[in-house]
Amino acid sequence: MSNENIPVLEMQNVEKHFGGVHAIDNFSLKLEKGQIHGLIGPNGAGKTTIFNNITGIYAPDSGKILLNGQDITGSKPYKVAQLGIGRTFQNIRLFSNLSVLDNVVIASNLDASYNLPQAFFKTRKYKEREKFLAEKAIDLLDVVGLADKVNEKASSLPYGHQRKLEIARAMALDPKLLLLDEPAAGMNEEESLDLVNFVHQIRERFDITILMIEHHMDVVTGLCDFCTVLNFGKTIATGTPAEVKSNPEVIKAYLGGAD
Amino acid sequence: MFLQQLVTGISVGGIYALLATGYSLIYSLLDFSNWAHGEFAMVGAYVAIVFSTFVNIPFLPAALLGIAGGALISYGCEKVTYRRIRRNGAPNMFLMIAAMGLSNMFQQAANLIFSGQYRSYPFKLPVSTIKIGTAYIGVLDIISLVITAVVIVILVYLINKTQFGLNVRAISCNAYAAKVLGVKVDKSIAQVFLLAGGLAGVAGILYGMKYNVFPTMGNVGLKAFIASVIGGLGSVPGAIVGAIILGILETLVSGYISSSLRDLFSFTLLIVLLLVKPSGLFGVDVQDKA
Repeated sequence: MSNENIPVLEMQNVEKHFGGVHAIDNFSLKLEKGQIHGLIGPNGAGKTTIFNNITGIYAPDSGKILLNGQDITGSKPYKVAQLGIGRTFQNIRLFSNLSVLDNVVIASNLDASYNLPQAFFKTRKYKEREKFLAEKAIDLLDVVGLADKVNEKASSLPYGHQRKLEIARAMALDPKLLLLDEPAAGMNEEESLDLVNFVHQIRERFDITILMIEHHMDVVTGLCDFCTVLNFGKTIATGTPAEVKSNPEVIKAYLGGAD
Repeated sequence: MFLQQLVTGISVGGIYALLATGYSLIYSLLDFSNWAHGEFAMVGAYVAIVFSTFVNIPFLPAALLGIAGGALISYGCEKVTYRRIRRNGAPNMFLMIAAMGLSNMFQQAANLIFSGQYRSYPFKLPVSTIKIGTAYIGVLDIISLVITAVVIVILVYLINKTQFGLNVRAISCNAYAAKVLGVKVDKSIAQVFLLAGGLAGVAGILYGMKYNVFPTMGNVGLKAFIASVIGGLGSVPGAIVGAIILGILETLVSGYISSSLRDLFSFTLLIVLLLVKPSGLFGVDVQDKA
């Protein structure tokens, strides 16, 4: 099989229970290279749990998760990060006490085979590595428009910039797959539109595949090639944003008419 | 007289700082008070006693082995106890209670193995003094001060200028995000325990040179806790400054009032601070550490 045909991410019948609650029930998904796929659904539908299963925060109870055909089911979070999955969080989780630059440098240093004596005596190799990482981080910050803020504390940035910094930080992993958890949360219409353009740019520039959780339907419509709608851990619809929006099951879930 | 007190105070404060920085680092990563921290110092001090008096090797290598002993016991506690408790998903309170258990365990074990008697390192250094103006300053105080200063400079450098330090600072800020960004959180925590235990080992040996080595000497760890509260829990610079302040205050109280009031003063200060300024000098917001 040629590499082209292997999906970037494949989830096969993934299940996750918490006590008696089916957080995710028999969930399957295939992401082709370059796609932007939306995960939508009411609160508590299991969207973030799916992200946590992919990134190794939880191990699924059953089912399989493949990244470019490689089984990553139940791998540790740092391993998943190394293999090329970057992630942002619904409630921004920056290293707020660190500089903007250090926030990005941290994520770009995974393959650094540093050891303590080397770091301590700053060998030439270590210094070169340090310089390379800083330059790489600045390039990324330039893409997200924060290159002039490298020395500021992350917590001092306005909200919209913090979102962008979080994306730059995730991109520093050189990910094949980027997971965005409600990137437009707390944004007004204008900011959302700006975000849509920004994510398009990121995809084109880095040739990346994106899975995103989003509530703003205009963001979903503006960005996603396909989407999956979840309710109570079950997939209730899949298709293009337009198809999904007119699906009666989806309308029922959102209007809360299920009971 | 005052200069003499000041040098002694800073020197004692330096020993507290060696403990307080390690204690603070662990607190900043794991949000719990490692009550066994003083015992890491005690173990280090005893390892140096064993090698310098029982095995009879020169003091310097014996002291280095003592430092290694402090580091290893600290690392062992993390590996065998704390890490497992975290894996079980238990509340942080369990870590603190386990630490109290370990603290007592090590004290009892030391009592059993070495008996309660005071032991000293095999040399006569502590009594000599040098005269500066009208003040007599203990050679030991000066040696202790210099060693402490060097160790603290190295520590601050490690934390602020190396990848190891960057990882530690990131984890203390947000361990969850660090994990997802590929930082090996458990590995960094283990490294911090090694480092903190090594610092405690240095402190234990310096303390033992000054006050002898005995099974309950680890209670000096409580002073590290007070120092950290003065500086702001979880803040390394705060721990250093807080420790020096505490060392000077204690020496002044002992020198000008009465040495029997020293500990009473320190613990009263602790309670007052917790009531008046719980965030400490460096204002790390304790609530913010979620």
